Amino acid sequence: MSSVEFRKDLFADERDDNLNEIGKPTIRQDIIGHVTGRSKFYDDHLFDGLLHMRCVRSPHHHANIRHVDTSAAERMPGIRRIIRPSDVPHNINTLLALINFGRDDEQLLSAGRVTYKGEPILAVVADTERQARDAVAAVRVEYEELPHVLDVEEALKPGAPTVNAEYPNNSFDYHDLYDHQKLRFGDTQAALAQADHIVEGTYQMSPIEQAPVETCGAIAAPEQNGRYVCHTSTQALFFSIGVTAKLLDMPSSQLHFIGGTVGGGFGGKVDSHHEPLAVLGAMLTGRPVKYMWDRTEEFRVGAPRGAERWRIRDGVMNDGRIVAREFTGFFDSGAYTRLSSYAIIKGTGHLPGPYTIPNVSSNVYCVYTNRTPATAMRGFGITGVDFAIECHMDKVAETVGMNPIELRILNAYRDGDMKAHRRVAKNCALIECCQVAAQKAGITLSPEAMAASSKEGGGIGWRAEVPETAIDDMGRIGDRRNREIPPEPYGGATQRGSVPAGTRGEAVVAAEVQDPDMQIDPTRVGHAVSQAVGQPAPPTPAPQSGAPIPAPVPAPAPAPTASAPPPIPAPSAAPPPQQPAPSAFAEPGAPAQPQQPYKPEKPFQRGVKRPGVSRFISGTRRR
Amino acid sequence: MSITVETYPTLREAASAMRDGTRFLGGGTMVVRGLNFGAQTYDRVVRSTDAALRDIRSDGTGLHIGAGVTMAQIMQTASTDFLAPVARAVGGPAVRNMATVGGNLFARAPYGDFGTALLALDATVQMADGQSLAIETFYAHRAGSRGLVAAVTVPRPASGAFRFAKITRTRPKGASLLCIAAHLPGGTRISGARLAFGAMGPTPLRAKEAEAALDGAALDPAGIQRALDTCLNGLDPQDDALASAWYRRAVAPVHLRRLLLGEET
Repeated sequence: MSSVEFRKDLFADERDDNLNEIGKPTIRQDIIGHVTGRSKFYDDHLFDGLLHMRCVRSPHHHANIRHVDTSAAERMPGIRRIIRPSDVPHNINTLLALINFGRDDEQLLSAGRVTYKGEPILAVVADTERQARDAVAAVRVEYEELPHVLDVEEALKPGAPTVNAEYPNNSFDYHDLYDHQKLRFGDTQAALAQADHIVEGTYQMSPIEQAPVETCGAIAAPEQNGRYVCHTSTQALFFSIGVTAKLLDMPSSQLHFIGGTVGGGFGGKVDSHHEPLAVLGAMLTGRPVKYMWDRTEEFRVGAPRGAERWRIRDGVMNDGRIVAREFTGFFDSGAYTRLSSYAIIKGTGHLPGPYTIPNVSSNVYCVYTNRTPATAMRGFGITGVDFAIECHMDKVAETVGMNPIELRILNAYRDGDMKAHRRVAKNCALIECCQVAAQKAGITLSPEAMAASSKEGGGIGWRAEVPETAIDDMGRIGDRRNREIPPEPYGGATQRGSVPAGTRGEAVVAAEVQDPDMQIDPTRVGHAVSQAVGQPAPPTPAPQSGAPIPAPVPAPAPAPTASAPPPIPAPSAAPPPQQPAPSAFAEPGAPAQPQQPYKPEKPFQRGVKRPGVSRFISGTRRR
Repeated sequence: MSITVETYPTLREAASAMRDGTRFLGGGTMVVRGLNFGAQTYDRVVRSTDAALRDIRSDGTGLHIGAGVTMAQIMQTASTDFLAPVARAVGGPAVRNMATVGGNLFARAPYGDFGTALLALDATVQMADGQSLAIETFYAHRAGSRGLVAAVTVPRPASGAFRFAKITRTRPKGASLLCIAAHLPGGTRISGARLAFGAMGPTPLRAKEAEAALDGAALDPAGIQRALDTCLNGLDPQDDALASAWYRRAVAPVHLRRLLLGEET
C-alpha cells in the first residue's frame, strides 16, 4: 500500500522493531471522515441568528490614523455593532507571552497607527456577510501616511522608520542584551584566514503562504453561566484559549473551545486572531458571531512563513574539509513578533546544519518591517537556513571540485561529535541517507564514502570538544540606531575576548516548573487577570438542600519533602493545607465522596436549554 | 445593499435595462464571484433568457457564436473544433460549464484567454444594438463600454494555421501568466500573420511589429528571429500575484518561439 521503503538493515541494533506504531505504515485516524466528506469543520456548525464579522483594514504600509468616521456604516441596515480598539478589554499581546518570551507588542484591533497593509482597526458585526462588507466599505478613515520600510537590512539602518513601538530599533531584543542572536563556537576569523578557499553565498527566501483549503476563522456563541463556546479552526486550541482569555481579560474557565478538525493548517492557524474577535463579538451582541477570512484575506493578511536572507561564508581546505562557517541571517518578522523571535532560537540551534565544523559563528536578526507579520510554517526557523546551507554545500563542492554527495559525507556529523550549540550529536544518519540517496540516483561514490558510517569516527579528539571560543560584544540593543555596524559575526569589533575551551555556557530556562501539588499559581497563568480572578472562591456555605452536588475535595497533603522551601513563594491568598480547595483544581485521582450523576427534574427535549450547550446551536451541516 | 436580479426574455430588453451599478450576468463566473466578495461597484444584476445567445451557426463571413455559448459548448460542437483547445484551457470543468464567450471578452487579465484567440482570428463583435465592431476596436474601447455583446463572428482558419499556447504555473486549472494565439496563414511562407497576447496588458493585445516581421518568413529559427526580437513592442504587462511584468517580458519571446517552431510549450 505504501511506496515508503523501510531500510531495516540500517541501525538495526539501535532500534526496537517490535513497536506497534513506530517504523510501521499507519492510517491517519481522521481519514475516513475526510474522504467521505463527513468530518465536521468549524464552519459546519450551524447557529440560529448567526452574525457575521468583517474587519476594516489599513490600505497603507505605515500610517497614523487621524480620524475614523463610522456614522454612515452605523446607519446601514443589519449592522449590530462596530467594535473599536477601546472595546477590547486588554488590547495588547504577543503570541509567545504564554511561554514568557518577548514583550506584548500587538493589538487585536489597532488604535492610533497601522504598520502593515491589511492591519485590522475596526470590526463590524452584521446580520449578513454582505451587510458587513458593505459597512466596512462605508467606514471613512483618514490616514496620515508615514515612511515605511520593507527590506530587512534597510530596517536595521540608523535612519529607518520605527515599525514596532515596543522594539524601536526594528529588531527583537535577545536576552536583554543584543539586537540579534549570537552563536560563537571556536574562532571563525582565525580559521577563515588559514583556509585554502573562502566560499561565500547569499540566499533569499520569499514569504510563503500556508494556503489551507479551509480559511482561518471561528464561530463564537454565548453559552450558559457567562460562558462562551467557540468553534475554531485553530491548530493550537489551548494557545488560542490563553490568548483569548488574556485579550478579553476573562478567566479561561469561561471559554469553551472546540477544535480538533483543522482544514489544513501547516502553521498558519496558530496566531489566535479569530477566536478573541469572535468571542468579543458574541459578548458585545449576545449572539453567535462568525469571523472568517475570505481567500483574499487568507493570502494578504494571513501570516506566512517569513522571508529570510542568509549570507554564508565558509573556509574550506583543498580536500573538502570545511574548517569554518559563518552565518549572517535576517528573518523578516513583518510588523509584529508573533513566532519569528522563537524561530531564530530554533534556527541557531540548528547551525551549521548536519555537519561537524570546528569553527562556527552566526548573527541572526529578527527584523521588523512594514510587511505582513510572519508566523509558523512547517519546520520554520530550520527550513530556510537548510535551503541556504544545502545550496551552499553544492557551491563548496564546485569550488573544490568534489562530488557534492561525497563532500556531505566527508563533513557529516557523526555520533559523539560536539555541535556548535554545545550538545553532543547522537543517532546521526546523514551519511547513511547520502549513501542510500546516491544508490537510488545511480551515482557511484568512492569506496571511502561508501565505507563511512555515522557510528564510526565521531567524538574523537577535537570532534568531541568545545573549543576555545572567540567572543565579541557588538550589536548591543540600540547600538545600530546610532551608527552603522556590519551585521556579520564580529562585525565592527575592535576588541575581542575569549572563552576557555570546554565552556558550555548556561542553559536558558524560559518558564519555571509547575508546583508539585498542581495548585494553580496566579503568577503562572501566563497573563494578567483581574484581581478578583485567579484567587480561590470564598468558602461556599454548605448546601442546604439535599441536591447531589459534588462534594468539595480536600487538598492533597503536603509533599514528603515539605522541609524544603517551595520553589515558588506561595501566593498569600493560597488556601492553607487541609482547607477545602475549589473542586475544579482537585487532582482527578484524589479520593472523593461518591458522586451522583446530574439528573434533571424533567427529561431534556430538543430545543430546551441544556447546561453546557449553546442555546443558539441548531444543528450541523454534516451528520 | 441588497442585490436585485432582473431577467429579460430578449437581449435587447436586457440591454436597455443596463445602467450604473449594474452588471450583465452571462455564466456568472466573474459577476457572482464579485458579489460573493462584496463588490461595492454593483448591486444590480441583469440577465437574459434569449435563446439566440446560445446559437452556433455558419454564415457568409464565418462562424457565428452567440455571446451566451459556454466553453463546454465550444468543446462539444464540431464546427468550433479549432477553438476547442482554447476553450479547454479556460478554468476547470465547473467554470467551463458556465463561462461564456461574451463574458470572456470582458474578463480582465490574467483571464480572457478565449478573447485572445478571437483577437488573433480577426473576429467581429456583434453588439446588442446591432452595431458590428472589429474585435480590436472593441477591446480598445472596452473600458468605457456599456453595451452588451450579442455574438461574435469568427472566420474559420485554414487547417493547422491557428495555434494557441497558455502558460500557467499550475495545470490544468491555472490562470495565465500569459497566453499566445497565432494565426499563421500561408503554409511555408507566412502572409498576413496575427499574433495576440493575453495577460500581457489590460486587454489582449496584438504584437503588430512581430506580425509584420513574419510576413514572407518561414517558420524556422532564422525566419522568426525578427518577430521574437520585436514581439514585446506595444505590449504592456502588469505585475500581479502570478508573475511580475519583468518575468512576463522575459518569458514571452521564449514561449512565442516554441509556439512558432511547433515545440512543446
